[in-house]
Amino acid sequence: MKILVGVKRVLDYNVKARVNADKTGIELANVKMSMNPFDEIAVEEALRIKEAGNAEEVIAISIGSAQSQETIRTALAMGADRGILIETDELLEPLAIAKLLKHVVEKESPGLVLLGKQAIDGDNNQTGQMLSAMTGMAQATFASKVELDGDTAKVTREVDAGLESIKVKMPAVLTTDLRLNEPRYAKLPNIMKAKKKPLETIAVADTGVDVSSKLSVVEVNEPEQRKAGVIVSSVAELVEKLRNEAKVI
Amino acid sequence: MTTLVVAEHEAGALRPATLNVITAAKAIGNDITVLVAGQGAADVATAAGNIDGVSKVLHANDAAYAQEIAENLASLVLSVADGHTHILFAATAAGKNVMPRVAAVLDVSGISDITSVVSADTFIRPIYAGNAMATVKSEDATKVVSVRTTAFDPAAETGGSAAVETVAGAGASDLVEFIGEELSQSDRPELTSADIVVSGGRGMQNGENFAMLDEIAEKLNAAVGASRAAVDSGFVPNEYQVGQTGKVVAPNLYIAVGISGAIQHLAGMKDSKVIVAINKDEEAPIFQVADYGLVADLFDALPELSKALDG
Amino acid sequence: MSYNAPVRDIAFMLNHVVGLADVAKLEGFEEATEELATAVLEESARFTSEVLGPLNSVGDAEGATWDEDGVKTAPGWVDAYAQFVESGWGALSFPVAYGGQGLPMCLSSAVQEMWHSSNMSFGLCPLLTQGAVDALAHHASDEMKDRFLPKMVEGVWSGTMNLTEPQAGTDLAAIRTKAEPKDDHYLITGQKIYITYGDHDMTENIIHLVLAKLPDAPEGVKGISLFVVPKFMVNDDGSLGEKNDVRCVSIEHKLGIHASPTCVMSYGDNGGAVGYLVGKPHHGLMYMFTMMNQARHAVGVQGYGIAERAYQQALAYANDRKQGPTLLSGNDSEGIINHPDVRRMLMTMRSSIEAMRGLALDCAAAFDIAAKHPDAAVREAAQRRGELLTPLVKGWSTELGVELCSLGVQIHGGMGFIEETGAAQHLRDARITPIYEGTTAIQANDLIGRKSARDGGQGLNELMDDMKSVLEELKASNEVNLKAVAARLAPAIDAAEQANEWLLGQNDPTQPSATSVEFLMMHGRLAGGWIMARTALAAVAEKQKADADDAYLDAKTLLARYYAERMLPLVESGKTIIMDSAESTISLDIAQL
Repeated sequence: MKILVGVKRVLDYNVKARVNADKTGIELANVKMSMNPFDEIAVEEALRIKEAGNAEEVIAISIGSAQSQETIRTALAMGADRGILIETDELLEPLAIAKLLKHVVEKESPGLVLLGKQAIDGDNNQTGQMLSAMTGMAQATFASKVELDGDTAKVTREVDAGLESIKVKMPAVLTTDLRLNEPRYAKLPNIMKAKKKPLETIAVADTGVDVSSKLSVVEVNEPEQRKAGVIVSSVAELVEKLRNEAKVI
Repeated sequence: MTTLVVAEHEAGALRPATLNVITAAKAIGNDITVLVAGQGAADVATAAGNIDGVSKVLHANDAAYAQEIAENLASLVLSVADGHTHILFAATAAGKNVMPRVAAVLDVSGISDITSVVSADTFIRPIYAGNAMATVKSEDATKVVSVRTTAFDPAAETGGSAAVETVAGAGASDLVEFIGEELSQSDRPELTSADIVVSGGRGMQNGENFAMLDEIAEKLNAAVGASRAAVDSGFVPNEYQVGQTGKVVAPNLYIAVGISGAIQHLAGMKDSKVIVAINKDEEAPIFQVADYGLVADLFDALPELSKALDG
Repeated sequence: MSYNAPVRDIAFMLNHVVGLADVAKLEGFEEATEELATAVLEESARFTSEVLGPLNSVGDAEGATWDEDGVKTAPGWVDAYAQFVESGWGALSFPVAYGGQGLPMCLSSAVQEMWHSSNMSFGLCPLLTQGAVDALAHHASDEMKDRFLPKMVEGVWSGTMNLTEPQAGTDLAAIRTKAEPKDDHYLITGQKIYITYGDHDMTENIIHLVLAKLPDAPEGVKGISLFVVPKFMVNDDGSLGEKNDVRCVSIEHKLGIHASPTCVMSYGDNGGAVGYLVGKPHHGLMYMFTMMNQARHAVGVQGYGIAERAYQQALAYANDRKQGPTLLSGNDSEGIINHPDVRRMLMTMRSSIEAMRGLALDCAAAFDIAAKHPDAAVREAAQRRGELLTPLVKGWSTELGVELCSLGVQIHGGMGFIEETGAAQHLRDARITPIYEGTTAIQANDLIGRKSARDGGQGLNELMDDMKSVLEELKASNEVNLKAVAARLAPAIDAAEQANEWLLGQNDPTQPSATSVEFLMMHGRLAGGWIMARTALAAVAEKQKADADDAYLDAKTLLARYYAERMLPLVESGKTIIMDSAESTISLDIAQL
């Protein structure tokens, strides 16, 4: 079985996002970029499945600018076997990303597609579900535990009120939640080997996929800031203010 | 021009989230149709018809909807999608699970987690964990949207008298089988819909100390939440987590106890109407968003607060 | 306060100033491309800031502890070390034949900076292992290498260096540890002190390299031999046998690096520890010297590594801390970073750290060229350069590192003196660096003697010539900051040449000895200025490229200018001190001291 893992290059989660001067998006020039944390978890899960003998090959795929090669190399250094970059300088919506992934799924026929439940830039949380709907592969989102059994996967999902378990037939699309696993650090020998692993680059145009979008960003703004409040001197004063000033208790 | 709202319900009652979504639907301005899918959920469909502003209820009664299986729900939504310019979901775990499937099949972009309706085709949604707000405009024939429930007030549960129309089920997927669930048991309100939330952070030191928060929550009829640090430290289970990677809440009163106020936590609670912070470190960033701050050792302040609430 | 590895600054220095690309052209270093270096630095940054960094204050507070069964490291250290080994960081620069990655020293030094910034006490363990591996790789028999090196390279066994005894510190001729021949090995008896990581619980075995005297040893340093003494005997199949007759009898209570156990080691309490002779008898000290350059270089890296950590902490504090109106903001709600004097301290820290980093990496690259260049003459010149710069890297970077950590405390004001703040730990930890692996005075003697007088100043003159050609490049530019750097670099080079001439003209070493440390510091500051000038030239060149990050590159140029204007005048005063104060330094009657 092959596993296809999506890895997106995003603003590093430690860097505070700032709106750019012309309010069209976030300032991304000369800031640290990293692999989307949910995707790291997806790579880790794919590697664990392979190490347990349940998969033969882990393919890391990224869709983005040429620099996304670095993100793929990171996945290769963690242990993925080969990489695919669908190169574009446009910021694509989940709909287009899902269509491009479908294109690759049809070519590679993976038994599992592992994706982060969302990327921490757009926070859309759509791509995995869309890919499942487009390909007819089963869907299991927000996974916090994955157990493979023959051609089915039992997935524990994080839902609002706790946990839910479902069993899906493979091939399936899984999206990862934070507690699925703790991603490994890349080993030095693997970082060196990663350079030599195959990385195929495909231009979006060569896929024949229509990536046009009817959703446009009008503008991007800083969120409204809360005003700092007052410091109260005692619990009694706090309770008094909550009762009589804010009137919330 | 009608908007389809996909309702959520459990234990024979609508989830409060659906009421928030209906308010967002009202802001769009179309007639509102509510879809209730379930098994033996006729009462929910009736209740949906009573909601202020609802003009029609579609009810599908089928074993395929006994659980929230994304494949099955999406098929049903798609079977009734014709004629709707907007399809709205709550941005809950259940809503997020289905919305993109519907958008994908309709070949339109999904619009996640909107916090404001600018016009029928233009919405505001948070990106980068709420560090920026994007105004987006859709020219798709159908707008498929999920709604951040905390950003919209709940619609009144009475005042409407919409007819309930039965629709046929749209089949069940044989790829997915529901096995079971482990839900956290609590008599108190659910975190995302509670009027008051009391949250603890790493400063609570251990899980046992959360009993102090429970005691206060009991007295205020509040839900108990936690920061990611407290969850990662194993004090409480993950469903308590408030923040970018947990739940987004916006109660009337949010009491943050022993929480420093990391950006990722603030992303989950900064839209609360009144925020109280109790922390012994006066430099803690949480005080920058708090309406009322108390610099104190929580182990002194909590028992005192509990006592004061009796009076 | 967390540590955030300055990957971009390190990579800039490696790629644009030191010239990693030239090193990567050498046979055996082809792997070391810019792309690989970036990947390695970024993963190292992640590991050090997420795993090692958080253990730094734990280590300081809890320290290593000793009981009859041996030494236990601080909570969390055993796991962190296991992860370190698992990730393969220890094997970075070691020979491929023994399981290493064979990467150049300039890249491994860049990585090691992060070990020491994030957690200097931790970094010492692999640093010592590296020294032991180097010594064995150069001088041990193939049989011995096969037995010990693979596990040491992997890091599952650590290594120690046992030189010092209570009566024999700088003067190693005075050692008393004995080695008696027995069958195919020797029995070692004696006591060694100041043995870093002499015992600990992070590895399954510890390989001690021990200096001792054979029964027929000649007097003095020519009678010292080097032995391998494993903590646990190693069977022919590589498995561990019984415990050897060596134990740690106590650990020292120290000013800093609390988590790094400094052990008193006792050999042969029960008849003699089994030891194996490395190489030939009586050559021990010479063998030790072959790895001394590397070990000293590594301690120099600690010097600026710890200063980098102190800088990050001071910078964060200076941004956050608000104290009244500030001259640079005109607003009293802004941080103390807007006070000109706080800016002076931060600029001094930042620019000096870059200068030291550049010098250490340049020195490492020289050793890389010396190891692999096809042309023997180039190899020889590069070796001369590496050896000349080593005492500067060790002596200057550690002395300056301590000063900078002290500035880091100063920026915090009263809070800096409070342990909980964390700034004080860096100063306490840094204080050992000018002492161990040869004090600053030893480095200074090495510089004026072995590295200058012995070759008649050839190495020094070559360095001066390189500096002059950089000066010509600066002069050819119209860029205002480059011109300002040139204005200070020119008189500094002149002053240093006068001091060199004075030194080489002395027949009696007494006076040069009296100001040798000043001579070392002067050359360190000047070499730092040379590095910063090259950094500025590189930044100006990079600015010509499309998509250049102007703000970042302009900052590099301005840091070079600050360094030139703040540090290079000290080269001129240094010359005066070297030449004029030697006599008064040693003239006062001891009774009057």
